[in-house]
Amino acid sequence: MVSETPAALVDYAIEYGKDKTDAIIARATLSSGSQVRFSQNAIDISKRWEDLKLELFVVVKGTKAGATERPVSTKSDVKQAVDDIVEFGAILPDSPFYAGIEDKVQPFPNLKGQYDENFDAFVEDAPGIINSVVDSAVEEGAKRVAGAIKFYKRSFSFKSSQGPEGSDQKTFFDLNVRAFQDELDYSGQGLICGVKPSESEKALLEAGAKAGRLSKQSIGAKQGAPGTYDLILAPTVAASVIGEIPELAHPILVMMGLSPLGDRIGEQIAPEFVTASDDPLYAGGLASRVFDWEGTPCRTTKIIDSGVLKSFLHNTSTAKMFDTETTGSSDLVSFGMKVLLPNTSNIVFNNGDFGIEEIMDVSRPTIYVTCNWYKRYQNNLTGDFSTIPRDAMFLIERGEMKPIKNLRISDNTMRMLSSIDALGNDRVQVYWWEVTTPTVIPTMRIRDCRMTAATQ
Amino acid sequence: MVPSLNDGKDLSDYCVEFGRKLGSSYVEARYVKDTTKGLAFRNGEPFSGGFSPSTGIGVRVLVDGNMGFASFDRLEKGLAEEAITIAYKMAKNAKRKDPIDLGQPVSNKKKWEMPVREKLTDIDMDTMMSFSTDVNKQMEGLDAFNFLVRSKMVDKYLVTSEGTQIECELSYLLMFCYMTAKGDRGSEQRNIDFSLAGGWERIADTKLVERVGDETQRLKMVASSAIKVDDLLGQPVDMVVGSEVAGIIAHENVGHPSEGDRIMGREGAQAGESFWRDLKIGESRVGSDAVNVSEDPTIPNSSGFYLYDDEGIKARKRELIKNGILNEPLLNREFGTRFGIGSNAAARSSAYNREPLIRMANTFFEPGDYEFNELIEDIKLGVYMRGFKEWNIDDRRYQSKYTGSEAYLIKNGEITDTMVKRPIMETTSVGLLSSLDAVTKDLNLNFAGTCGKSDPMQGVPVYAGGGELRFRQIRLGGVG
Repeated sequence: MVSETPAALVDYAIEYGKDKTDAIIARATLSSGSQVRFSQNAIDISKRWEDLKLELFVVVKGTKAGATERPVSTKSDVKQAVDDIVEFGAILPDSPFYAGIEDKVQPFPNLKGQYDENFDAFVEDAPGIINSVVDSAVEEGAKRVAGAIKFYKRSFSFKSSQGPEGSDQKTFFDLNVRAFQDELDYSGQGLICGVKPSESEKALLEAGAKAGRLSKQSIGAKQGAPGTYDLILAPTVAASVIGEIPELAHPILVMMGLSPLGDRIGEQIAPEFVTASDDPLYAGGLASRVFDWEGTPCRTTKIIDSGVLKSFLHNTSTAKMFDTETTGSSDLVSFGMKVLLPNTSNIVFNNGDFGIEEIMDVSRPTIYVTCNWYKRYQNNLTGDFSTIPRDAMFLIERGEMKPIKNLRISDNTMRMLSSIDALGNDRVQVYWWEVTTPTVIPTMRIRDCRMTAATQ
Repeated sequence: MVPSLNDGKDLSDYCVEFGRKLGSSYVEARYVKDTTKGLAFRNGEPFSGGFSPSTGIGVRVLVDGNMGFASFDRLEKGLAEEAITIAYKMAKNAKRKDPIDLGQPVSNKKKWEMPVREKLTDIDMDTMMSFSTDVNKQMEGLDAFNFLVRSKMVDKYLVTSEGTQIECELSYLLMFCYMTAKGDRGSEQRNIDFSLAGGWERIADTKLVERVGDETQRLKMVASSAIKVDDLLGQPVDMVVGSEVAGIIAHENVGHPSEGDRIMGREGAQAGESFWRDLKIGESRVGSDAVNVSEDPTIPNSSGFYLYDDEGIKARKRELIKNGILNEPLLNREFGTRFGIGSNAAARSSAYNREPLIRMANTFFEPGDYEFNELIEDIKLGVYMRGFKEWNIDDRRYQSKYTGSEAYLIKNGEITDTMVKRPIMETTSVGLLSSLDAVTKDLNLNFAGTCGKSDPMQGVPVYAGGGELRFRQIRLGGVG
């Protein structure tokens, strides 16, 4: 038995499901993914994933909305999937959050260069390249190197009973490499992500080298002193701490009490030199797309414009609920189960004017943080949070950078956003364990941040 | 058609045969079939429902001491062969100098299941809606409340080239409440995982609806009453924590650093390494004599329940720390071999498309000798921290922070009505565990959670808990 193509599966889903529903959207995604994981300078495991998933969103009996995702191969599988979700949808209560889906067929914007024609050849080469990444970290001073590279090829077809349809294909990859000394303390990280792994070998090796350099620079790190400092957040950290804020311009998160942006449209929440957008058309973005899950053409939406909170993200339903227009941001989101909601694509901040040397040229107590993990909120409405710097961290004092360790950022994200005083001109795309929305962001310097440490 | 268990078993058997023919020294295939259905509510109103069956097979192959993994969701022989062949070739190209060794062959054969009285497959949507209405009613009066409920049933079949064949059935009710209370003292939030393992009967058995109501009232009190108590900052104070806080400490400060793969560096770039690396098992002291923390997957009605792990090893209790001394790490076959003591059945995989890794199951402080009032009676100044909200810990599992949610001032041997706003225990693991001097006699595994690890992320259901714990002379990291 050989699977049907994604296009054939969604065609059949709509043909079979349109008379059983008030509306149905089908999307079939064929995905091949691989990963090489390594630690202690050796490859631990090489992985391969093969998936063909059908996602369905149905509206039955007016406003009963249900969704499903399941593996499929044949039209018979599709028929079963439609029957199951129609039957399930019919017994659901009416959804007060469903107010319609896209019903116009419109041209989609162009976005080229998101597919690596040489992807397949990269798969078997990857273990050898990873061994070279390890070598490049060791050459820069690392003793032990760990990490993972993932790379995917995906193609999908989509069709809505309301008219829109389309298809696309993409490739993407991400490498996280971490270098250590023999000790646990002195580590450094390198990250790289993009859409064409076969053209990125140099960047992959540089990520390894960067991790090695930072690890070496961290040797001898001393316990940092808690207190108030200006922080310089490398793009990796800025993406986690500040880059998440535009994602919270989400009407449902506001309604659920999970966003601090609820009643702040029109308010100056950041300095004038900060602009951040949801940009599905960003060239090379890991989450770039030309139409959303309902078939609305995608466009760039300025969320923070010159420091002012300008817009929320919407799909057709939330736009109607809030008497505005869709931003082409519909997605079938995993929210415990699949739910049709607005969602971010790539979050893109404007680049700054400052070179990294200028940002580091400080006269106040300043800490440079290169990586962080474990960000947790005490209160999502206010933005009170903490996160732990990991890997290289430096105290900049009297023109010198001294490695320090064991501090925690314990502050408020909205206060930090409003206290940015410089943006670097080194904008890069960040995507890894701690930053799951691709975020294009520069280094940021932020005034008067609270750093805490263990009391005993 | 959703494939039957037999379809998956037959193809899994074939995958083992195929992997061996390619030249793998060890092959394991794991077929997983699960069905999830659920509802989501916001302020009592349903905003979505979903139903998602899933099937797939994950295969591990050991090739010249290099590990490969392939997974696929369609039960097609050709696809299985293609995926396994690619994983085999990639593994062969890995060229490890230090080959992976799984130790002595294992050939366990067993069928087991999670005890269930009322099968979740028999629960109709009206029943689920009616229950959800009851839960949502308990949260009325909060500024915002969200409830997610999902039933999840899992069938697994594991077969290996060494002769292991394990079949199991699992059943979970995954439930989460996101609560916001606004009061005179500002807003306070909690995200509480109320997940249960077993059948529908577990809702009544655990008085779940009443528990949601109780937590709602407690959060409202925090928002309306909790205040900053400056006296707590000028000096070390005694801290008594509830079983929920005991659970998160057992999980984060003890369970995670005990994972053998972290100790040996395999999670270095993801979940991190472990401060246990530089210590000696059986010798190093990391806490007071009162610290006894264990891990036990064999506890019925727990989210971490299993009788055989995902490598086919029979489950047993593991005593991680005994009397303050490191006693036993969590191990799978690979790291059991590297530690020279064999696996203690800690391998878990969250889905067909994830490799089995060393994971916790149910982690807890062993019961002590004290009654709760005995913990309090000689405290001159301290805090009883019943629950927490914000927490984190560094990736060696050494620097942790727990910020209290519901907390009360203890003065002169009594818990007062004064609620303390956000007391912060920000310490090292050894600093915290060394200050523990008393544990109550009870054991409550009432902290449910989804433990995250690895890349791609694997979330597995766990429980954690203990009795109430007393920590002496803690210098708080902040209040209010």
